Amino acid sequence: MTDFSKMNRREFLGITGKAGLATLVASAAGVSFGMVQVAEAAGNSRLTPFRFAILTDAHLYDIPDHKFDGILKKAVDDVNNMNPLPDFVVYLGDIGQSGKRAELEKGKRILSKLKVPLKVIPGEHDWYLDMGQAWRDMFGSPTWSFDHKGVHFIGMNSILVRDFWTMKGLTPDERMGFMEELECHHCGLWGVREEQLEWLKKDVKKLKPDTPVVVFTHSPLWDYYPRWNFQTEDAPQIREILSGFERVMAFHGHVHQVVYNRIGNLSSIGTLSTSWPWPYPGIELPFPDIKMNRVDPGDILDGLGTQYIDLEKEFSGALHYDAWADLLPEGVKKGVKL
Amino acid sequence: MKSNIKSRLFTFTGTTVAIVSFAFLAIEPAQARKPFTQDELAAQYKDLMATVKEGDDLWHSAKLGKNGLACANCHPDAAASNPHTFPKWQANLGQVIPLRDMINWCIQVPLEGQALDANSKEMKALEAYSFYMHRGFKLKPGENTRQHPPVEVRSGAGYP
Ligand SMILES: [Fe+2]
Ligand SMILES: [Fe+2]
Repeated sequence: MTDFSKMNRREFLGITGKAGLATLVASAAGVSFGMVQVAEAAGNSRLTPFRFAILTDAHLYDIPDHKFDGILKKAVDDVNNMNPLPDFVVYLGDIGQSGKRAELEKGKRILSKLKVPLKVIPGEHDWYLDMGQAWRDMFGSPTWSFDHKGVHFIGMNSILVRDFWTMKGLTPDERMGFMEELECHHCGLWGVREEQLEWLKKDVKKLKPDTPVVVFTHSPLWDYYPRWNFQTEDAPQIREILSGFERVMAFHGHVHQVVYNRIGNLSSIGTLSTSWPWPYPGIELPFPDIKMNRVDPGDILDGLGTQYIDLEKEFSGALHYDAWADLLPEGVKKGVKL
Repeated sequence: MKSNIKSRLFTFTGTTVAIVSFAFLAIEPAQARKPFTQDELAAQYKDLMATVKEGDDLWHSAKLGKNGLACANCHPDAAASNPHTFPKWQANLGQVIPLRDMINWCIQVPLEGQALDANSKEMKALEAYSFYMHRGFKLKPGENTRQHPPVEVRSGAGYP
């Protein structure tokens, strides 16, 4: 049984937030708990340590018994067997390959076997057949936040491009076909765009600067390799909005590889997929030691895996890649400090 | 005065060039054919680019396989196809192979498709695309410990 009397204000909000009443309850709690709870939250432990896991980039095809189905199932089993279990799982986009409802439904079916709650954001492969209609029907809003054990979690849709299809007279299938190519040279750069930037400003407005903040987007929040949309066009604005916080941790999918960077107060880290690994682009990595080994093409599981994050009291912690082959150099095996 | 010096210099340079080219002409083998004309070169280049384009289209097409995957799923811009490192000993095949054998392995295993005839138009096109995306690279036959990014592509397909 959770002892509500021992929880600080933010923890209380986290639990009630799960019921989908976060905003309403937040103001109510502010009134009823008042100064006592605020004083408690200002103590030296900023969060209750816990674990969460990340799955991403399954790229499911609308083909029965496709090999990627089995790989996602394996990832789900892996998470269910983690000890300790994560408090929840975040899925970072690209459930499907071609944006088909059947692909997303298959993914949702497999992911429903997770023993813990799931939060999802979209990737470009989920979106451009019907402009996110099926995805929203199944997973709700792509823009969300919640509080958990003292940490503020934010998810946003970072794969929004400007209309490149109307002028060209493309069909939805053709539009999706273009977006399916990583190196699509008609599609332009992705971003979260004005509406979500406004939402983000409002979302973090009331948080204290020492609040632990974690952000999830499909694409990295820094200019890694724009040619493959290893970037988010308005990442500078996102980083600016979050610049008032002591520390921000950002997690992204899309790159299907181990990659790390730190800009100002924000640390950003990439994640392993459950479909195929992507090679590193021809640029110098900002942290060249944090990278994965060359993959053996003969091993279907090489380059793939899951990951979990253990957050410690002072909002420190490491991301642990759970790679399914000999993929990680020694330094990365022990986890990447965030 | 100035213009005088200039014109003298010009004459001097002109003479030198004439002597040097004469020397080259003298040792050129008699049976060498005439250089390709600009029109011929343009036509050849057009053919090459058409082959590269055909390879690009195939590289990004699911029709080589049976499970929806294309070469480009793992090799965007032909990255990590490492054409300049072949022939080499390939661990997953346990022997020394040329690039086309690796392409056929990819078609048969990850893509679950039918191997192409090694001399088919399709195979030539796939090879052309992979090689052209690595133009200017030093040959490193045998190197099998590294993955290489392709030529830097800023916009477009990566070739004219
Ligand atoms: Fe992906
Ligand atoms: Fe993606």
